[in-house]
Parts: sequence; C-alpha cells; structure tokens
Amino acid sequence: MYITVSVVILVAIAIGLVRAFRGPTLYDRVMAVNMIGTLTVLMVAVLGFMTGRPEFLDIALVYVLISFVSTIAVLRVVNTSNDTTEDSKQ
Amino acid sequence: MEHFIDIVLLGLLMITGFAIVRLRSLLAVTMLTSIYSLLSAALFVVLDAVDVALTEAAIGAGISTILMLATIAQTTDREKVPRHTPLLPLIVVITTGAALIYGTLDMPHYGDPDAPVHRHMAAAYLHDTPLEIGVPNVVTSVLASYRGYDTLGEVTVIFTAGIGVLVLLGYHTRRQNIQPPGIKKIVVLRVIAKLFLPLILLFALYILLHGDYGPGGGFQAGVIFATGFVLYALAFGLGNAQRLIPQRLLHSLAAAGVLIYAAVGIEVMLLGGKFLEYRVLADDPVTGQHLGIMLIELGVGITVAAVMLIIYFGFVSRQSSGDS
Repeated sequence: MYITVSVVILVAIAIGLVRAFRGPTLYDRVMAVNMIGTLTVLMVAVLGFMTGRPEFLDIALVYVLISFVSTIAVLRVVNTSNDTTEDSKQ
Repeated sequence: MEHFIDIVLLGLLMITGFAIVRLRSLLAVTMLTSIYSLLSAALFVVLDAVDVALTEAAIGAGISTILMLATIAQTTDREKVPRHTPLLPLIVVITTGAALIYGTLDMPHYGDPDAPVHRHMAAAYLHDTPLEIGVPNVVTSVLASYRGYDTLGEVTVIFTAGIGVLVLLGYHTRRQNIQPPGIKKIVVLRVIAKLFLPLILLFALYILLHGDYGPGGGFQAGVIFATGFVLYALAFGLGNAQRLIPQRLLHSLAAAGVLIYAAVGIEVMLLGGKFLEYRVLADDPVTGQHLGIMLIELGVGITVAAVMLIIYFGFVSRQSSGDS
C-alpha cells in the first residue's frame, strides 16, 4: 500500500514540476512550490512508515511549520516591487 | 522499491537543475531552487540520512529562499543574457564531469560493506558510542563529542560569516514601523503568524534538546528559531521585529554562543580533562558526555539563530531604508 501511495505522490510531484517550469505567471510557480511542499511532507511521512522509522515525521513537521514562511516572503517581494505578472518571456 | 524512488527523485532533481539553468527570471529560479531543496530532502530520507534531511528541511524550506529573495529585492530579478558563446564553459564542464565519472569507476559499490568508509572510523564510532557516550543518535555523538573540534570550527565560521555580512551591509534600525500597504490588511496572515509562532519556537526547542535521541541538534534548531522571527517580521513589520530583538542583543548572542562552546572546553581543561573531553564534567562519564553535548548544542543554536537574524535584518533593513 505504501508503494502505491509513494508512486502516486511521485506522479503528482512530477505534474507539479511541469506547472513550475512552464509558469507562465509567478503565481503559478508559487502554487506549484506550495503543492510540491505539501506532497514532500506526505512523501517523507510515507517513506518513514515504509522503512519502519516513524521518527522521520520530525522532518515532515519542520516542513509543515516553516515552509509557508518562504511563500509569504515571495508574495511580499512581489507586492513591494509591483512586478506582478511579467515573469517568463524567454 | 527504494531504488525506484531513488531513481525517480534523482531524475526530477536533474530536470529541475536544467530548468534552473534555462530560466532567466530570478524569482522563478528562486521558486525552482526551493523545489530542488524539497526534492533533495526527500532523497536524503530515502537514503536514511535523517540528520542531513532535517538540515535541508530547516534551511531549504525557509531561510535560504528568504535570503535569496532579499537579495533579489535589492538588485534585479532579471538575469542578463551572456554575450559570449557558451562553448568554452561547456567543454570545461563536460571534461570535468567526465573526469569525475571516470574517478567513480574505481570507487567501491554503493552499500559495499568493505568500502573504506565503513572500515575506517565508522565502525569504531558505532561500536563505542553506546558505551562511551550513551546517546542513541550516533550522528550527534560524532559531531558534538568525537569531532567536537570540527564543530567548534564550524560555529566560528558561521560567526565570522555574520561579522562579514555586518561589515558589508551595515545595520539599520527602523524607528517607525513601515509596511507595504497590502500586507497591513491581511488579517489571516497575522492570525496564522500568531498561532504558529509559539509552535515554531517550541519545535525549535524540541529539536535542540532532542538532538541526542532523534534527528536534529543545535544547528537545525537555530535555523528554525530564526525562521520563526522572520515570520514575525513578515507579518508585523520590520520595525516591530527589531524592537523585539534589538541589534545589540543579537550581536552579543552571536558571540555568546561561540563563547559558551569554547568555555565548556576550557572548563573541562580546568577540571583535569583535555579540551572538549566532556566526561570529566560529572562523576559519571556518560552523564558528563550528555551534559557537555547539551551545552555545546545550546551554544551552536544561539550563534546560528543570531547570525541568521543578523543576515536577514542586514539585507532587509537596508532595502527599506533606501526608499523612505
């Protein structure tokens, strides 16, 4: 069961990566980072139980507690620089 | 199964790396770097390197992205298109890469029990840790006790880095609390920050004090602590955060951490041991080791937290004092 779950999570991470690469706006990328962050928390938890070492949950907890701080920082930089959607024109 | 996960994660890491090279918008690159960090933390978990994974989580999830953003806010978020052709650098990189791959051919296979790394000191550490130090986490016993000199050196490096940033950027205290107009109205952010801040600080203390038993230690705890205060600064404004933790306090704390570490070493010498030989700290050698490790982890945590905040305030206070 853990194997199926981890495969599904990996597929979901890959889909999130596609959105992060393609953009086109910064907000798409912020969403993608947030989503991959949540998926990584799940992935770490599943791996902990799969290998029989649930103390790995400490790592998942760190992500849950502090990964949103960087998202807030991104939005704040965008907010102050007024450079809202012009992101990827390469 | 773990091999399959390894390969998929490494593949995703590689794709992310290429995408980072290709993109020209530095904000997007910052986003992708934080994805890279998330993926590598997952990879470290698969490889059973829990302490490394926790460090990656503590730094990659918060403070590194925040510092990169602070740099972008001061400079520009567009990368210049290089004028020269990428041919020569490409040749250099490919040659170096090929030489490195050629070098790995002679290395023992992954997980080989006869590899030098498993035969040299690691066996001794694994065997002696339960007898001499008595902490379940061997990583902590190696870092804090067997190789305490190295860790003292690392803390000094972090302290020096903090001084370097202070000298280069200076320190600007904000008297009035100026915030970007949008943030002021966001009640959700403030409520969440108020709810989460105690939890983050509590968890940092847990990581600090539980480092002997589970993953963690002073370094990770210090970074998490600093991230908590960065959250406060983001939600309630830089001026309030600087009033909460004044400049002088940060400077003294950064020095105090290194001082605690070195003082433990000297205290041990006064008690008749060698430098950083904690077992003379208490009557029972194992208790002495526990006490010594706890004290130096505390010193590491204090220095790391203070230096991270010095760097953050150094970057951010400079940028807002320019436009007001």
